[in-house]
Amino acid sequence: MDTQQEPRKTFVVPIGPQHPALKEPGHFEITVDGEIVTAATVRLGYVHRGIEKGVEQRNWAQAMYMLERICGICSHVHATAYALGVEALAGVQAPPRAQAIRVLVAELERVHSHLLWLGVAAHEGGFDTLFMYSWRDREMIMDVLEGLTGNRVNYSCNVLGGVKFDVDDTQADAIRRAVDFLEPRTHHYLKVVTTDETLIGRTRNVGKMTFLEAETLGTVGPTARASGVPRDIRVDSPYAAYPDFPVKTITATAGDLEAKFVVRIQELFESYRVIREILDKLPAGDLAVRVKPRVPPGETVSRVEAPRGELFYFLKSAGGPNPDRVKVRTPSLCNWGSVLATAPGHKLADVPMLIAGIDPCFSCNDRLVTVRRRSTAETWTWAKLRQYGIEYYR
Amino acid sequence: MRIGAMLGDISRSLFKRPVTERYPFERKAAPERLRGQLTFDPAKCTGCKICVRDCPANGIEIMVVDKVAKRFVMRFHTDRCTYCAQCVVSCNFDALGMSHEQWELAALSKEAFLVSFGREEDIQALLNQVTCKPGAAPVVPVAPATT
Amino acid sequence: MNIELPPLVALLLFPGGLFLLSAGTVYEWADRKLVARFQNRIGPRWFQPVADVVKLLAKEEIVPDGVNPVLFHGLPVVALVGTLTAALYVPMAGIAPSYSFTGDLIVTLYLLSLMTLSMGLAGANTLDRFSLIGATRALTQLFSYEAPFLMALLGPAIAAGSWQISQVDAYAQGHWWLVLTQPVGFLVALVGLMGKLELPPFDSPEAETEIVAGPMTEYSGRGWALFRIGRDVELLVGLTLMAAFYLGGLANPIEFMLKTGGLLLVTAALQSLFCRLRIDQTVGMWWRIGILLALAQLFLLVFMR
Repeated sequence: MDTQQEPRKTFVVPIGPQHPALKEPGHFEITVDGEIVTAATVRLGYVHRGIEKGVEQRNWAQAMYMLERICGICSHVHATAYALGVEALAGVQAPPRAQAIRVLVAELERVHSHLLWLGVAAHEGGFDTLFMYSWRDREMIMDVLEGLTGNRVNYSCNVLGGVKFDVDDTQADAIRRAVDFLEPRTHHYLKVVTTDETLIGRTRNVGKMTFLEAETLGTVGPTARASGVPRDIRVDSPYAAYPDFPVKTITATAGDLEAKFVVRIQELFESYRVIREILDKLPAGDLAVRVKPRVPPGETVSRVEAPRGELFYFLKSAGGPNPDRVKVRTPSLCNWGSVLATAPGHKLADVPMLIAGIDPCFSCNDRLVTVRRRSTAETWTWAKLRQYGIEYYR
Repeated sequence: MRIGAMLGDISRSLFKRPVTERYPFERKAAPERLRGQLTFDPAKCTGCKICVRDCPANGIEIMVVDKVAKRFVMRFHTDRCTYCAQCVVSCNFDALGMSHEQWELAALSKEAFLVSFGREEDIQALLNQVTCKPGAAPVVPVAPATT
Repeated sequence: MNIELPPLVALLLFPGGLFLLSAGTVYEWADRKLVARFQNRIGPRWFQPVADVVKLLAKEEIVPDGVNPVLFHGLPVVALVGTLTAALYVPMAGIAPSYSFTGDLIVTLYLLSLMTLSMGLAGANTLDRFSLIGATRALTQLFSYEAPFLMALLGPAIAAGSWQISQVDAYAQGHWWLVLTQPVGFLVALVGLMGKLELPPFDSPEAETEIVAGPMTEYSGRGWALFRIGRDVELLVGLTLMAAFYLGGLANPIEFMLKTGGLLLVTAALQSLFCRLRIDQTVGMWWRIGILLALAQLFLLVFMR
């Protein structure tokens, strides 16, 4: 506080890129007046990994594993979106059993992601007990996924044209046991988040977003559904085995943080139902069909419902062994607007919960970033960049 | 509306064992499908190298010594591998598999990340080919034969 | 129990000084372990708090730009000294206080407040924005819980007719446990103690998901270690005071261990039961509910006498 200068008019609290509230780098500038937030901005792009470009240098089979690593939490939906797109381009259809297994793993992944979110959101609010318990129970799903697919994250369940493995009876029993254990626990968590006085004090009427705002801001997934926007790709344009195993769209009307808790937890029940249904009525047949290493030229769009909302893939093939262009748009990117729009007027203490409320995944949404703060933007050549580097370290 | 909705949980936990797994001291068997270290059966290999082509991480090298006598050397980089099992799926002859017993692959030296499969004399012969000095550390990456 | 100890021993070894430091870390460990067990985790091993402190003491202390170095180094010492001094007036380990005079209850309470005050000042001393917000919150919280906490501890003092801790302790030993006759005061004092120690759910001054470590953000080495030890000792002193006043006094070391341990169990349960309160919720709770409860009991006591 240099008294010589004119007094600072705003007090900006920087959250990130390194901050205990954020598990991934992102930068928020929260302008506060005392404890009240008056403005919020976000800057993304700290974890841009050049995956879209990297994919263009890999063949169709290799690309899937790279795309799967866009997100650690919802890796399977990325692979599914890509595999469905490539299959559409190649003009093949994965067998029904493979599609059902894809949906099964997707729903198990949704369960694990939502339980993870429940814990993270509780932790941001300082409710570590709920965090520990929800993550303890999430471990059941992680074990099931490990036993089913062979890995806790990045399941690599898909191959182009189908899936890698079958679900046999022992696996099915293990999944049923886990779901039977988790269902009463989930009821309990629903009761906790809707009745616990201290938690409600932090969530009710916090980050309220009306139906209209949710529509205008283009939110997707549970964030939109908490405001009553019935937006769910599994229902709107069913893919894989969702036509055979329909899900119900869960919506709430309040649009606040509590509604986001409730929507996500109720989606868990829907997932449990679908998981059981798939295990009971798993169609017989092959696990995969052959996809040629060269995919015929064409373009396609593939959309799936990730745990965080709509995941969008655009694929273009030039007929070669490698994809010509892959464009990914992850759900987190669509939801940032809602955080920035709802934050002003809240307390600083609410901001971490508001950020966590959309279940953000920073490295997912860092695709290509062009930062043009001032008009001095210029393109540097490799030689100039190199020269700058040499001089910088001199 | 109530205060302390998790009272039941915490009071029960006080009399329960913690769920934390004391991993290095208590071990659970890994699930059978766990994707651990790659295994290679030279008797089944044909040297088609589809696995090399499809590997997203360039983790496999296959060197053909004698196709007819089924003499292959497979070098597997545990540090590069992403354990996706695409090679296992791609292999049409079941020559590759993934172990669910060998999965603790962390090591303190780079050498430990390179696992070679095949006949001992073939491995040695190949190593002598690529290393200038005998006895040098076998970490020099071998360029896959481009034929 | 009444033991006459040479003043130097009482100050440096037992019950002051070394005993306080080691017992403080033991209580911190017990607290962490209990919270972990409540959350179905294993929790730290017994030497973890000691190891933390030793590590911090050995670390380089970075003095950030723009702070007053004297205050930066001095405030942790003041905080620790305050709590260590306060410990001399309470029946630590179940033996009679080393020093005692009429009205030492008030002095002890002020010495305990020195901790929070020092932390608030330490935060305000730096230019760090997290520290500044944390300092504001810490001092705001100080003003909200302090009055109810004081009043809640005055309840037993009024019942005993003395503002001397040793006499209140003696009174409590000879009568029913005051937690039965003054349950409201006990509750307010217990929650007040948690507020004083900034334990969850009253940890908004150092809410890590909002403002990193609050006022302590810029402290890295010795200063942070001293603040931590200070808080451990404050926990010990607070629990001793509560047990002496409300749980039938502390006649011997075994009673001391059992009663403070029981209190620690309750505070650990309360810590794991709630979601963190925002600072406005904390202040609102104390001034709307806490102070009214404490006042009601105080008036009742005054009229009953």
